[in-house]
Amino acid sequence: MKISLAWLREYVDVESPLPEFLDRLTMIGLVVEEWKEINGDIILDVETYANRPDTLGHLGMAREVAAMLRSSLKEQTWPLTELPAKTSAFVDVQILDEDLCPRYCGIVVTGVKTGPSPDWLRAKIEAMGLRPINNVVDVTNYVLFATGQPIHAFDLAKIAGPRLAIRRAKKGEAIRTLEGKTVALSTDMLVIADEKRPVAIAGVIGGEESAVTDATQDVFIESATFDPVSVRKTRKALEIQTDACYRFERGADIAFAPQAAIMAASLLTQFGGKAAKEPVDIYPKPRKLKEIVLRGRRISDLLGVDIDDEFVEMTLGDLGFGLTANQHSIWRVQVPSFRVDIEREADLIEEIARFYGYDKIPVVVPPLEVLEAVPSDREKIQKLSQALFHHGFDEVINQSFADPEKEAVFRSGKAPVEIRNPISTKASLLRTTLLGGLLENTAWNRNRGTEGVHIFEIGNIYFRNEDATAEKLHLGLSTTGPLGTPHWKGRPGEANFFHLKGAVEACLESLRYAPFSFKEDGHPFFEEDYSLAVLYKGEKIGRMGQVHSRLLDLYSLGGPVYAAELDLDLLFGKQPRPFEYVPPPKFPSVVRDLSFLVDRDVPFQEIKQALDKMVVPYLEEFSIIDHYAGGRIPRDKKSLSLRFTFRNPKATLLAKDVDKAEQKIIKNLKSAFKIQLREGGESP
Amino acid sequence: MLSPNIRKFKTTIDVYRTKLEEQSAQIQDLRALEELHHQFLSRKRGTITLLFEQLKEFDPEEKPAAGQLLNALKNEVQERFSALETKLKTPAKPKGEIDISLPGEKLYWGAPHPVRLFQQEIENIFVSMGFSIEGGPEIETDYYNFEALNFPPHHPARDDWDTLYITDKLLLRTHTSPVQIRVMEKKKPPIKIIIPGKVFRRETPDPTHLPMFFQIEGLVVDKGITFAHLKGTLEYFLKRLFGERIKIRFRPSFFPFTEPSAEVDIECLACGAKNPDCRICGGTGWKEILGSGMVDPQVFKNVNIDPETYSGWAFGMGIDRTAMFAFGISDMRYFFENDLRFIRQFTLK
Repeated sequence: MKISLAWLREYVDVESPLPEFLDRLTMIGLVVEEWKEINGDIILDVETYANRPDTLGHLGMAREVAAMLRSSLKEQTWPLTELPAKTSAFVDVQILDEDLCPRYCGIVVTGVKTGPSPDWLRAKIEAMGLRPINNVVDVTNYVLFATGQPIHAFDLAKIAGPRLAIRRAKKGEAIRTLEGKTVALSTDMLVIADEKRPVAIAGVIGGEESAVTDATQDVFIESATFDPVSVRKTRKALEIQTDACYRFERGADIAFAPQAAIMAASLLTQFGGKAAKEPVDIYPKPRKLKEIVLRGRRISDLLGVDIDDEFVEMTLGDLGFGLTANQHSIWRVQVPSFRVDIEREADLIEEIARFYGYDKIPVVVPPLEVLEAVPSDREKIQKLSQALFHHGFDEVINQSFADPEKEAVFRSGKAPVEIRNPISTKASLLRTTLLGGLLENTAWNRNRGTEGVHIFEIGNIYFRNEDATAEKLHLGLSTTGPLGTPHWKGRPGEANFFHLKGAVEACLESLRYAPFSFKEDGHPFFEEDYSLAVLYKGEKIGRMGQVHSRLLDLYSLGGPVYAAELDLDLLFGKQPRPFEYVPPPKFPSVVRDLSFLVDRDVPFQEIKQALDKMVVPYLEEFSIIDHYAGGRIPRDKKSLSLRFTFRNPKATLLAKDVDKAEQKIIKNLKSAFKIQLREGGESP
Repeated sequence: MLSPNIRKFKTTIDVYRTKLEEQSAQIQDLRALEELHHQFLSRKRGTITLLFEQLKEFDPEEKPAAGQLLNALKNEVQERFSALETKLKTPAKPKGEIDISLPGEKLYWGAPHPVRLFQQEIENIFVSMGFSIEGGPEIETDYYNFEALNFPPHHPARDDWDTLYITDKLLLRTHTSPVQIRVMEKKKPPIKIIIPGKVFRRETPDPTHLPMFFQIEGLVVDKGITFAHLKGTLEYFLKRLFGERIKIRFRPSFFPFTEPSAEVDIECLACGAKNPDCRICGGTGWKEILGSGMVDPQVFKNVNIDPETYSGWAFGMGIDRTAMFAFGISDMRYFFENDLRFIRQFTLK
């Protein structure tokens, strides 16, 4: 809200220097965001709040300032030159919907010499950032910015009277507005209508046909109160924003309506106008002032400081509240009609706190009591992140939106959630996978000269689940390009399928979600032969693979890129293996390497599972230390070398026991996989 | 003239001296030295020990001369071994093929996202004060996002929270505050939580606005909670985050779900309140950092907590917005472009 300091001074004396004045305003909650000097006046841009329509005019601001400075408002008088006739002789106002229009006032002013406004009025209109139009229109704007009460001037000659009805629009009615736009009205919209047609949309905007022009002589000034919700719905439906509806939808001061009409009429008499003897004022159900009980005890309970009764009474009194002391430190407080925001005791306590000063409220650090532990998911995410940092993955965070065209190419298998009013058509869905963002980031970085892009994101994906929506916390990983920068000791390796797989394994191991397994999957995200499902306790918790060229093309990315996506909500819902301590072994181990040929199409995982199941005495662990095909190896075979570690936890292991165990392994592998031992592959 | 016995003994000693010279010349490492040491000086079977045994057989008048010869050898042995040991323990100097001024090998360690990093810094401060952490859905109902927080339908206050809608009743949460309601519906006071998370607004991206960003919310509900506690806790938090000497200001504001409401400003770190043209604080010297207030009695009523018995306070703060201010980042979009040249800097934080 723009406030002219000169205009404000018409209501209240402000003598303190500007910086001090602005600081004090800030501390009662009126923040001046900007100020500038224009023609010797200072224009403040004050931040206002949705619940304080009373501050949307100079009078309301002056009330706050007067209370702040402990001074009082200056009286203003609005003399009229009167006609013998009453307003009701010109117009017959009828409210047909009392809910949407609880009060309607108006006054007729005849013989106005319409023309350019005098300098003092022009200056005020310009100070508010508006262009002066003519003295009648400028007077209506003046009243609005002076008092916060929107008023409207009709050209009396253009109203097909005498009946002026405040009613809902009829089906099929339309109006051409002051903005020159014809809008269709619906039956829930309130209009001001003459005998023939709507002449204004109540509280929103006037009609062009009944508008004041330079030829206008007789005007009818409207000053009314309209239902805030109705005004808001109407202006939203019609996409019209005016200074009037901005105030009506926040709530106008119902008691002030007649005064605003008189004020406008008085100003018009300066331009030769003569006001009707009496305004019309239709107020079918006069409202009583709200009353609230205020307890001194509650003030200190809420603020943590004792405030004198005297201060409470003075502050509320200065702000226009009426106080009756009920008992000691308990009051019945009457709320002035312009304070539509004050409804409860807490609202009054805020008023007292504002003027007492938030800075004077003590600073009390409460006892550091722990009520409940931090949930374990946070720790899991931290551990997971540490494992990934360790593997050289950087963390990214992407916007949750997705482009429907790209989403369609992904074929995530999840029905996306659509945003009804998106920022752009390219961000009209919520993502169903983290992969899109990761590929986008990869392309962005590649285009800026970063070749190695190894990234992860932890965030939600969203989808439709029948009629409901669902969101799940996912982990996305992607890796491509060199694993580090060139170094004099050697060139870095390139990201590959097993680099990614190692990172996935590290994630699961770091959280003790083991044993886990992988299964060939064939998901549309990945190339056919490079697609694995990740399983824990037999349930699929994610997938990984080499990203399909169809998706790389979508981001103009050269391959290969490897990616994985895990459902963390699903994973965290499962029980990890408990942590167990094992003492370091006392007796030495014996290591035996076994090299053999096996059919090329036997996956290592099958051999591993067979060995896992096998009961082999003293076998502590085994690992694959070499894998080779081609060269001198027959085409349908591959060569594997496994390293077995044997240990007797209770005694030093004897060679013959190891030999026995090794023979058992060989025998079982031979029968299960027809392995052929390689020369020198068998330990002596 | 030396006696024949002494002459013979001298010859023996000279043989061992030659042996010592030959063998010590071949010593390459400490282990070999130790073996040679053992050969000569072992208390039981060492060469010198055995030679001392022979001394006993000399006549008393010959003994001193023989002893002199043997002690000379013993000293030579000891000196030589000691010199050898020193030499072997001193590392070989690089012979030109190794330039030790070359840079070392480093493991590459991934970087956390700056928003996550800052979020954890904030969380850690509150966790150290005994707060727990809660979360809630990002797709919310109108009820939790607005109505239960005392935004009546069609209230103009909703305009300050520009909303992305899924349906009439479903939306992307515009703040983390709906989780306050979800928690208070489930749990009875005392409650002491923070709620970090993603929030959404219908904003066109520019350097200071994005349609998605991060917020952290705090809520304390108990008997006897006052505005003074709000001030105490938030001041402590801000001093931990920005340093003990940071100036903090609480001023009146409006939020539908708190009454009284307070905006919290801290002194501008960019200009130290000294630059009237500062782009960060607009020359006011103050930077708005978070919104807070005492929980509105209507909010308590909506979750069946009696506002006559309990009171509470809440705050909300933009994580990315505050990180921008703390790190001096001028454009919010950097956070979600995910340029690794930006992100990797935060390994140093």
